[in-house]
Amino acid sequence: MLSPRTGLVLLVLGLLLYPLILSGPFYRDIGVTFLLAAISASAWNIVGGYAGQVSVGHSMFFGLGAYTPLLVYTQWGWPPIAGIPIGIALAIGLAVVIGMPTFRLTGHYFSMATIAVAELIRIFFGTWDWVGAAIGLQGPAVARGWWDLTFRSELPYYYIFLGVLAVVLLTTAAIERRRFGFYLRAIKASERAAKSLGVPVRRTKLQALALSAAFTSVAGSLYVIKTGFIDPDSAFGILISVQMVIVAALGGAGTLFGPLIGALILIPSQTLTNSLFGGGGSGLTYILYGGIIVLIARFEPGGLLDLWHRLSPQLRKRAHV
Amino acid sequence: MSEAKNLLEATNVSKTFGEFLAVRGADLAVEEGEIIGLIGPNGAGKSTFFNCLAGETMPTGGKIVFAGTDVTRALPETRARAGIGRTFQVPTAFEDMNVLHNVMVGAFLRHPHRNDAREHALRIVELTGLRPDQAARSLGTPGRKRLEIARVLATEPRLLLLDESLAGLTPSELRDAIALVRRIHAMGITIVIVEHIMEVIMTLTKRVLVFNQGHVIASGTPDSVVREEAVIEAYLGRGHRKRRDQ
Repeated sequence: MLSPRTGLVLLVLGLLLYPLILSGPFYRDIGVTFLLAAISASAWNIVGGYAGQVSVGHSMFFGLGAYTPLLVYTQWGWPPIAGIPIGIALAIGLAVVIGMPTFRLTGHYFSMATIAVAELIRIFFGTWDWVGAAIGLQGPAVARGWWDLTFRSELPYYYIFLGVLAVVLLTTAAIERRRFGFYLRAIKASERAAKSLGVPVRRTKLQALALSAAFTSVAGSLYVIKTGFIDPDSAFGILISVQMVIVAALGGAGTLFGPLIGALILIPSQTLTNSLFGGGGSGLTYILYGGIIVLIARFEPGGLLDLWHRLSPQLRKRAHV
Repeated sequence: MSEAKNLLEATNVSKTFGEFLAVRGADLAVEEGEIIGLIGPNGAGKSTFFNCLAGETMPTGGKIVFAGTDVTRALPETRARAGIGRTFQVPTAFEDMNVLHNVMVGAFLRHPHRNDAREHALRIVELTGLRPDQAARSLGTPGRKRLEIARVLATEPRLLLLDESLAGLTPSELRDAIALVRRIHAMGITIVIVEHIMEVIMTLTKRVLVFNQGHVIASGTPDSVVREEAVIEAYLGRGHRKRRDQ
């Protein structure tokens, strides 16, 4: 049986070598999509998994991060990466504005409020000419320099995304060990008990939402820098938020590697169903997501990592016998 | 009782829920180092009053002063920082953590760094007789009650509010729990205890306040209050005197 350290080394090696071993564009595209899903879900995990504040409107942060790089390019001709810090700042600002009133709500009321806000923003962007309204925005067709980050190959994107994923996971690992991480888990278990122990519940939730929003915004920026195009649906659509929730919940919300495991399973299966059924199978994503929600809720609320933690001692015992 | 010696002073505290007056002008003065019992029949208002002291319920009238500071409108987390700790009738463990991590959540209040919090939490866990690596979700009722006491102790309170923390225990568990409360008291922590079990009140406290219909109907030593006619009537009803006289 693998020790956690060996497992981690194998995982890192696997991620580093994947696009070199499976070098076809199809496989590299899956790799990039997987990393983007893992980044978004890991970002969501900070507030949704650790603090238990299940936002189903995280596309609002993803969308802001996706719009700003192309906005600075179309409006002022700046390189799209210049829009990343602006996207982060806007996402943090929005997180504070949204978090102040919505964190008074708990449970599904909070989730519903986040959906409503994300939908409002989507509709608003769809009618706002300055951001391209329903048509959206286009990035540079041909790179003016390396700073435009427009590459023919998927390979540079893969390693940039992998670097960002490493930053998100290292930040989450640091949070897990610190007071902030303990406070988040206490809030998830019982806000009432956490308050009685001096935990500043609202401030901690706001900080978690702001951090989560910042990373989600970076995910949106990465997405748009790679695709070079954005419109309200691909920025703020509800499926983007739902995917973050499902990826994290499938692997194990509130665990460091849960979102990574979830993305490792969900993205290839989603790509497989899409490629098997072609354009006619696009609605299958909804069926796949729905099926996963039902299965997780009914059989494994703790996700696959939790299942592994429960099963591995038994498997180890059997291996010894 | 001189004001300077009082750690907690609640004056004329009231709480209404709509038309219903749950607490009517209750007074309580707690000296540093005391153990005080709050008793009363179900629905007497003692839990509401207790929640007013802990900051979970905001009183509609009156004043609560703790260690010279007015905390009447302070939130529970502010009161915890000031030194008021509390337990709940139904203990709530942080299920996904082990015992040590549960207690560390409390310890972080005065020890922001992980290693300091861990060391402090380990000392508290040892004091309460729990196993640090035990999963919180695997604890039974007595373990959960201990864990909750350990967690709040880790915040280093000056005043500990125990809300039926000893209810639902077997006689031997109850003896252990009483011994634990004594150890906590010996650490210099002032305790206010709401309890139904008279054995706990009689054993632990030197002063008792009896609540009925939202206000304090008697106060004094445990021996004296249980003999007071108003207290007997509150617990047994008006009919008891007639039955006794017959």
